[in-house]
Amino acid sequence: MNSFEEINIGDTLGPLELFVSKDQCRAYARTMGMGEGAGRFTDDEAARKEGLPGMIIPGNMSLGLLSKLVTDWIGSSNAWLTRMSTTYRVPVQPDHTVTIHGFITNKNPEDRTAEIDVWMENEESERLVTGTATVEFRK
Amino acid sequence: MSTILDLHTHSEASEDSRAPVEAYLNWIKLRQAERPIDGIVLTEHRQFNRDADYRHLEDKFGTLVLRASEVETTYGHMLVFGVNDDMVARFDFADVRLDAQILIDEVARMGGIVVPCHPGRPNIGLYEHYQSRPPLQNVVAVEALNGGSRKGEDERSAELIAKHGFAATGGSDSHLVSLIGLCATKFSAYIKTIDDLVRELKTGNYEPVDFRPRRKTVPHAVAMETR
Repeated sequence: MNSFEEINIGDTLGPLELFVSKDQCRAYARTMGMGEGAGRFTDDEAARKEGLPGMIIPGNMSLGLLSKLVTDWIGSSNAWLTRMSTTYRVPVQPDHTVTIHGFITNKNPEDRTAEIDVWMENEESERLVTGTATVEFRK
Repeated sequence: MSTILDLHTHSEASEDSRAPVEAYLNWIKLRQAERPIDGIVLTEHRQFNRDADYRHLEDKFGTLVLRASEVETTYGHMLVFGVNDDMVARFDFADVRLDAQILIDEVARMGGIVVPCHPGRPNIGLYEHYQSRPPLQNVVAVEALNGGSRKGEDERSAELIAKHGFAATGGSDSHLVSLIGLCATKFSAYIKTIDDLVRELKTGNYEPVDFRPRRKTVPHAVAMETR
């Protein structure tokens, strides 16, 4: 990524294509200490009993994937992700490839922040999770 | 002279959007070649801010900003255009179970028009309600193209329009700055005020326009389970 002075409204982040497997989903649920009530994140049958189409990815995992787009873009630059918000529109299913897109939508020279739109799409370009992020740049 | 308007947008005044109006207008200016829209209509959820004034932004960016509302009814979500003091006094816009037929008839009587939005969407769209309940009377137009539609939703809307002969609009339903103007409505008339818009919506003399990018479909991968 460039410095604050070099980025522009309209600049693109990504896209980042990721395949998320059921094993990764289960591993995340285990690591996060999601216990007995987390069947929807670990087992297709348990998820279907809840009316879901099959296992789904935990919301926090989707949030982590969206933030990865931003933190990868920041890289080793002198900036940091200070805020992120998400809206969960559609359950995200594992064993699918998701694509994460981002755009810089605003720049505030007073506090040296950039506002970024981010969203996750499935293979059919349906937006599953949307969000916004704020990145602050040090001088 | 024609006018292209995004009839369905949400700014940070809606609880689920963080998009400032100024950022929307700046984005429209930036993306004018791909999304050549002349203006937007802010349709905030369950509210109408009669005191909001965007004239300085209209002047700065040369883009029209009009105000309407998206309300929730017994037949799903609907856009109310031409909101006035009489309507605000008559209806509690925050009520999530407004009677759809009364809303349509009363808003028309008071000089506005109601347009059901994303009719093909499950639970909150007209299509699903029409499967089990009688159709509404006096519906002039519905939203045919919605920028947030999932696969099949716009198709169900098209089916409804073909069956009932509704006029068709388009709107982005944008909650993010970068999604503004993805779908819009092209009017053959010149529109400058909310009264112009209401008058034209009642004529049916317009069509939805689609500026969504055509992306290549990502192939479905197959994973091996090691559970």
